[in-house]
Amino acid sequence: MRILLSWLRDFVEIKESPRELADALTMAGMAVDAVESEAGETVFEFDITSNRPDAMNHFGMAREVAAIYRRPLRAPSTACAESGPPAASKASVAIQDPDGCVRYVGRVFTDVEARPSPDWMRRRLELCGIRSINNLADLTNYVLLEIGQPTHAFDLDRLAGAAIVVRRARHGETLVTLDGEERDLTDGHLTICDAERPVALAGVMGGQASEITAETRNVLLEAAWFRPSVIRNAARGFKLFTEASHRFERGADWNAAPRAADRIAALLARTGLGRVLPGQVDCFPQQPRLSLIRLERTHIRRHLGIQVDDAEVEGILSALGFEPSSDKSGWSVPAVSHRLDVERGIDLIEEVARIHGFANIPATLPLVGAAPEPTPQAAEDARMRAAVRGLGYDETIGFAFISSDEAGRFGSDDPVSLRNPLSQLWDVMRNSAVPTMVRALEWNLRRNQPFVRLAEFGRVYRRSEASYEEPGVLTLGATGTARQASWAEPAREVGFYDIKADIAVLLAPFLANAPSIVTEGVPTYYRKKHAAGLRSDGELLAWFGELDPELARERKIRQPVWVAEIFLDKVYGKGLRRPTHGKLAKVPAVSRDFSLLVPDAIDFASITEAVGEMPDLDSVEPAEVFRGKNVPDGSYSLLLRVWWQRLDESLTDEEVNEFAAELRSRLQSRLGITTRT
Amino acid sequence: MSIEHKTGRPIGELIREGEDPEQLYGELRAAFERDCSEALTAQQGQALRDRWLGRRSGLLSATNDHWLKAAPRELKPVVGKLQNLLRRDVEAAVKAAAEAAAREQVQAEPELDTTLPGPGRAYGAVHPVRLALEEVLDIFRPLGYSVAEGPEIETFFYNFEALNFPPDHPAVDEMDTLFLEDGALLRTHTSPCQIRIMESESPPLRYVVHGKVYRNDTPDATHSPMFHQLEMFAVDESITFGDLKGTLEHFVRRFFGPQTQARFRPSFFPFTEPSAEVDITCPFCSDGACRICKQTGFIEVLGCGMIDPNVLRNAGLDPERYQGFAAGFGLDRFAMLKYNIDDILLMYQGDSRFLRQFR
Repeated sequence: MRILLSWLRDFVEIKESPRELADALTMAGMAVDAVESEAGETVFEFDITSNRPDAMNHFGMAREVAAIYRRPLRAPSTACAESGPPAASKASVAIQDPDGCVRYVGRVFTDVEARPSPDWMRRRLELCGIRSINNLADLTNYVLLEIGQPTHAFDLDRLAGAAIVVRRARHGETLVTLDGEERDLTDGHLTICDAERPVALAGVMGGQASEITAETRNVLLEAAWFRPSVIRNAARGFKLFTEASHRFERGADWNAAPRAADRIAALLARTGLGRVLPGQVDCFPQQPRLSLIRLERTHIRRHLGIQVDDAEVEGILSALGFEPSSDKSGWSVPAVSHRLDVERGIDLIEEVARIHGFANIPATLPLVGAAPEPTPQAAEDARMRAAVRGLGYDETIGFAFISSDEAGRFGSDDPVSLRNPLSQLWDVMRNSAVPTMVRALEWNLRRNQPFVRLAEFGRVYRRSEASYEEPGVLTLGATGTARQASWAEPAREVGFYDIKADIAVLLAPFLANAPSIVTEGVPTYYRKKHAAGLRSDGELLAWFGELDPELARERKIRQPVWVAEIFLDKVYGKGLRRPTHGKLAKVPAVSRDFSLLVPDAIDFASITEAVGEMPDLDSVEPAEVFRGKNVPDGSYSLLLRVWWQRLDESLTDEEVNEFAAELRSRLQSRLGITTRT
Repeated sequence: MSIEHKTGRPIGELIREGEDPEQLYGELRAAFERDCSEALTAQQGQALRDRWLGRRSGLLSATNDHWLKAAPRELKPVVGKLQNLLRRDVEAAVKAAAEAAAREQVQAEPELDTTLPGPGRAYGAVHPVRLALEEVLDIFRPLGYSVAEGPEIETFFYNFEALNFPPDHPAVDEMDTLFLEDGALLRTHTSPCQIRIMESESPPLRYVVHGKVYRNDTPDATHSPMFHQLEMFAVDESITFGDLKGTLEHFVRRFFGPQTQARFRPSFFPFTEPSAEVDITCPFCSDGACRICKQTGFIEVLGCGMIDPNVLRNAGLDPERYQGFAAGFGLDRFAMLKYNIDDILLMYQGDSRFLRQFR
């Protein structure tokens, strides 16, 4: 909103520099975005909050200035020479929907000449960013900018029956608005009609049929008050946002309507562009009731922390146009029609505070009266985040929307769709965080990043019986070298077992026992047999593996990428394991190596399972796995390293030999594997 | 007859031939001293050890067997003492030779180029939004604030109605809400969680709520359809606007630097009354002449106010008894200001080069 300094000066004395005034208004809640100098005129660019339609005009802004500096406010002159028959004899106004239209003031002008507006008026309009059209349109715009009341001028001779009827449209009625569009109306639309048909969409836009033209001689001027919700719905329904609708939907002032009509009449008479017929046609069936607001003196201190002098309180409220009457404990303040946003004591306290100055309220600190509640799963989350960092994953955050196509390929639940998505790429809430991670990996590969490790702590979204669930998920993404390449170590590509090892580290703080590996039911976006899951106590905790190469190729990813999903709600749900100290062995463990030739069908888990429980058995490790040269097809060579340990004493050679023999026999009898040493 | 030869013969015989223990051990010691009269290499040190202390064929094993063990009863104390003395000295010399050899070997190793970098180790980055969040939480936790996140999919009631948005008010449009098919919506701010907490817990309350929020904004350098908000609120019987000022002044000084000053400007939010926007003195310039503060010397950083009585009532609290304050801001914007990030979309691309700056 552009406000001219010279125009403000019509209503209030201003001694301050433009910069000082801008600062003072800003600190009273009228934010000045810019102070500009144009053609010798100072122009303020305001950003006025939606609750203050009263200040979206020069007179309203002058009231703020008057309140800040406690200076008198002069109202625009409405003195006007009238002549001819009474207006009421030339036009009639009837309100059939008094809920939608609370007041309708008509003024009649005759012998109107189509001439350009005076220079001073055109100049002010243009500085405020309004193009001059014709004298009547300019007048209505001028008064809109001056006192904030939208008005509309009809060609009276083109109104059937010289009548205005404010009513809901009938089904099937149409109206060609000033922008040339034909609008289909329904009974949801409040319309201004003549004796026969709609001539304007109330509070939004006039109709072409009754538009002011160069031939117009007689004019009916409308200054009305429409219910904000009615105007808002119409403007939104037609996507037709006008200066008028902007003000009406924020709330105009029904007492400004007659003043605006008189002000236009006065300006018309003054510029000699027409004759003003005596009197208004004021249709105001029921004055809306305004409440009596109670402002308790103690409440000012209670909310602001300071006591404000009575004289200051009364001075501020009076300057803003309120009429406080004081009593022992405070004030009774009738609400006013130009400030419909002020309805309660707290609203008045805000007025006092902002004009008194927020800067004049000393800063204090509240006493702590509550012990903080522990945040659920904060410790679990902190531990997980630290480990993810330590493993070298860079934390990323991706959008929570994906495309429905991605949702179909990566998610198992029906995705939650958006009604008004930003784009087709983002039309559902993600039911899997994998596509988000794949997009990020793709982004990095396109930028030739040789080493990528990403981790995202986020949520996925799904319907639940009553509403929605947003379980947490940690997604890992890895591609490129296993470590950042260096002169000290040969480069190696990251692989399945790197990811598996990382996940083992991440899960360890939560699990008393190692999780079991899941090879059935791995989602199809993972490469077959190159992915697995982890389960503990019957709960699936993670999927991880190589992204299906087909999916990768579609996304122009030409190297293996590895992803993992760790279901944080399940993992954190287990809580952090409480570590307990066991005994430390006094003597070193003893190991034996067993060289095995294993058919491919027997995996490592089967071998450890076959070894099973043994006394003093410490661990069974795959020291070497080898395929190829000297190893027949369909088999692999496994060097099994087995450790035994007894806490308090050394194991003798004889004992270990017995253990080794037992182990060989188990592998032989249970799996048919012969050990070679 | 060499002394080595003598060690292989029982001491009784040698005595009968006119030798005596003192003299025998004297000769032996003289031989030992000859053996280590020069500085020894590592190899020579090992040979010395084998010759003298070898378990089977060492000279001292031999004297132990043939001289000490075979000595007549009356000579045993003397021979034992001589044997022990010699053994002690031999062991000391062998040890010293080994140490000297080890030192020599270390010295012979090539020098390192200590200017070469260590092999690449990655320590993961903390996302800048998270980094800003942690900093903020570190400021509020000691002030007694709890932390909550709340759901991102919300109802119209929690996102708007309970927060005193009039149902037909432009303020609802200004939020550019993303709706789901069934009328639920993606929260446009973290304030719904305020209501949820006030509904389920009783004052005194002090909370920081943070998390993702959504707006139907076309992405550009300053807009993202998803971003992060943080809000803090306190509800008690005697919390004032002055307390709000004091809390936020403390906060911006801690976050942006001790010289930072806060300016409270009246503003409008449906859920607070009085409402204020907080500008801080520009942390990037001292003369109000930089691009970031647009030559004003101030940067708008957060919105705040006293919780509107209607909001308290909607959440089931008695506004005659309780009052409180609330303040909220975009974590992305705070991170951008603090870490000099000029494009919000960098936050959500997952570009490793961007993220690694926050390791």
